[in-house]
Amino acid sequence: MNRKEAPELNQVEHISLVAPQIIREFPVPFYFMKEIPNATSRIELYFNAGTINGKIGLASAVSGLLLSGTNVKNSTQIHTELDNLGAYTDISIGHESVIVTLYGLNEKLSEITSLFLDSILNADFKQKEIDELIADRKQKLKINFEKVSFLAQREFTKYLFFESNYGRVIEEKDYDAISREEICDFHKNQYLNGLNKVVLVGEFSESEVVKIQDMLAPLCAIALPSFTDSLTNKSGRFSVSKEGALQSSIRIGRILFTRKHADYIPFAILNTVLGDYFGSRLMSNLREDKGYTYGVNSMVSEYQNSGYFLIATDVAAEHKESALNEIRIELDKLQKELIQEHELELVKNYLLGHLLKSADGPYAMTDLYVHLQNYGFDEAYYNRYIQEINEISAEKLRECARKYLNWDDLTIVTAG
Amino acid sequence: MIEFERFELPNGLKVLFHKDKTTPMAVVNTLYDVGARDESEEKTGFAHLFEHLMFGGSVNIPDFDAPLQRAGGESNAFTSNDITNYYDHVPAQNLDTALWLESDRMLSLAFTEKSLEVQRQVVIEEFKQRYLNQPYGDVWLNLRPLAYKKHPYKWATIGKDISHIEDATMDDVRSFFQKYYHPNNAILCVAGNFELNFIQDKISHWYGDIPTKLKPARIVPSEPEQTEFRELTLERNVPADAFYYAFKMSHRKSFEYYITDLISDALGREKSSRLYNKLKKELNLVSEINAYITGSLDEGLLMISGKMNDGIGLEKLDKELWSELAAFVSEPLSETELNKLNIKIRTAREFQDQGLLNRAMNLCQYELLGDAAAINEDLNVYQSITSEHICEVGRQVLKKENCSLLKIKRKEA
Repeated sequence: MNRKEAPELNQVEHISLVAPQIIREFPVPFYFMKEIPNATSRIELYFNAGTINGKIGLASAVSGLLLSGTNVKNSTQIHTELDNLGAYTDISIGHESVIVTLYGLNEKLSEITSLFLDSILNADFKQKEIDELIADRKQKLKINFEKVSFLAQREFTKYLFFESNYGRVIEEKDYDAISREEICDFHKNQYLNGLNKVVLVGEFSESEVVKIQDMLAPLCAIALPSFTDSLTNKSGRFSVSKEGALQSSIRIGRILFTRKHADYIPFAILNTVLGDYFGSRLMSNLREDKGYTYGVNSMVSEYQNSGYFLIATDVAAEHKESALNEIRIELDKLQKELIQEHELELVKNYLLGHLLKSADGPYAMTDLYVHLQNYGFDEAYYNRYIQEINEISAEKLRECARKYLNWDDLTIVTAG
Repeated sequence: MIEFERFELPNGLKVLFHKDKTTPMAVVNTLYDVGARDESEEKTGFAHLFEHLMFGGSVNIPDFDAPLQRAGGESNAFTSNDITNYYDHVPAQNLDTALWLESDRMLSLAFTEKSLEVQRQVVIEEFKQRYLNQPYGDVWLNLRPLAYKKHPYKWATIGKDISHIEDATMDDVRSFFQKYYHPNNAILCVAGNFELNFIQDKISHWYGDIPTKLKPARIVPSEPEQTEFRELTLERNVPADAFYYAFKMSHRKSFEYYITDLISDALGREKSSRLYNKLKKELNLVSEINAYITGSLDEGLLMISGKMNDGIGLEKLDKELWSELAAFVSEPLSETELNKLNIKIRTAREFQDQGLLNRAMNLCQYELLGDAAAINEDLNVYQSITSEHICEVGRQVLKKENCSLLKIKRKEA
């Protein structure tokens, strides 16, 4: 055996994506994935209750109070009943929506959903619970203010989503301005009439699905929310100072687009070359060559009608300027030089393998598919994606870098 | 039920094969039986630094990551106080690439100066990022030496001090490799849609010629029984006072381990737990409180930790906490509460077992404990626990002379 020689490679040519069923007889999109080889199940409820809604801090407070009690049960009783069914709940808030996820064994999920719905339909937002949540949030905010990564991300958010509701950041005093009345109103408008998508995974019979639908129907939003497509970042360099910090946190990025844009896939490939895998140019340079950082990465992220690009890293305080300079050199290189065949081929293969991995199993496939549906695509999208990856040229990637990675167009934030 | 096959090569490599017909991916998981507990007190942080060097090229292959990525694969690793674990995800048709890379770095590393210098810097930055430049980041660096006086659990995986990383030499690196990185000290699991004889052929092909060595004897000083309550208070620039109660508990292979795990769930895993309910919801003393176990192979810790509400003193919490613990160990749990704890564990397990990597990793860890088949027995062990077991073990564990308390106090401006 010759250990110096790499084994022959076989490339990923297609993925077989099993799409969830789309149930049409429901007021809002309802996806159902039935092909599960075990006893697990999950339901995701999307509410039109993200942080862009209402005054600053309100959406987040309400999402934290959903299980805080009703006129007949206090929060401990609610949590005890959920735990008695083995339920795990996750309530996550983004700019555009709140996603409530309930996990459980499939024989329990219907009961878990019913219990959860009872708790949010009848939530009564006692002042004691509100005060407690606000005190907790204030403490967390103070702790976060001690972290350079939080300070950098916060400042970056302001300038990335400049002068929009997406770019609002909370101050401690904002918490004091939130009233119980505002919480109740928000709950009524954004939750009780704000369900806009349901994703169900698990081996359920038709009648079980109907039962779950009947429970959820009263919460459905009348109209689907519409989101802005005109976010713009304020370019330039901004800094936050934090005395005594051993590391500086860096955020660099700009507003871009969703996958509906023709340059989305080419830019995503370019982003991978730059900073989205372990062997990326930024990792090779800042970590594996210079040792400035434990990690650096770049990413593209999508909203409903907009998207952004971001580079993030925490570096040794004394190397902050050198790190910024190296990042700039890497962006310049992508604009000036063509990516060599050897590297491009590696990235293409990596992306195809990564796609195969992110579609492994019924939960992963459902997540991919539901995300595609936001932009009007179905499972055929990934055949096109694979083809586009295989056919992409170094020229096209350089063109993308020239269009989207000009240093002067970027928002650059450091904290430390 | 997680099924698997087991075989062993003449050089001592233990191999587990887990078949999953539904996945297009393959996982190669390699567990080396070495962790921070195997380090000497003068050279801590070494097992973890070494994990970084394992990605710096091996004897025949200059770079680990690039060929794997070229095959559509991804890789990572972690080091704990007990073990070092490496894993690769790769499309099933490129399994050979992962085995080629993993077997070559088991054979020998490249040992380049550049790799050592850079990874030393990277680990120092990791030290800063995780432990020094974070509020409450240095808690475990201080808590471990309080709770352990002899056992090497008294230092964290990252190391006791940055200087140990700064002073590591190439000779240290070489001798560490020779001692711990060979077939007799490793457990390999391959998972994916393959046949057993195919995997047997592949493993013999790639690993068969790696020379065998003696499995290093583990001579770890055992921790003397704790007989007195220990306490340490540190002042830090943090917004809220915090508390960390650490109780000694039994080792991983004992029945008491499972009972203590269940006790920690009952006390503080969820919002329906005893301490959360009493100390937060009822008395409003804390902003957060959790109980959990460290999961160590040797005698570990049951932790109760949290943060205080503004204006409430740690002494007040201390009094209420001990009285709640005393009540917990004297009054048997109801059937309902016990069932609640068990269904949560079962549900969590069902979800964890979804992941191919989780299954492969757990199989290796159970094999290290003695038998991979135990992966299918765990839930029965939890089911067999009675409320009497809980009271009995609770009384042994949750007592003052078995506890080390670290308090972090806010520095007054």
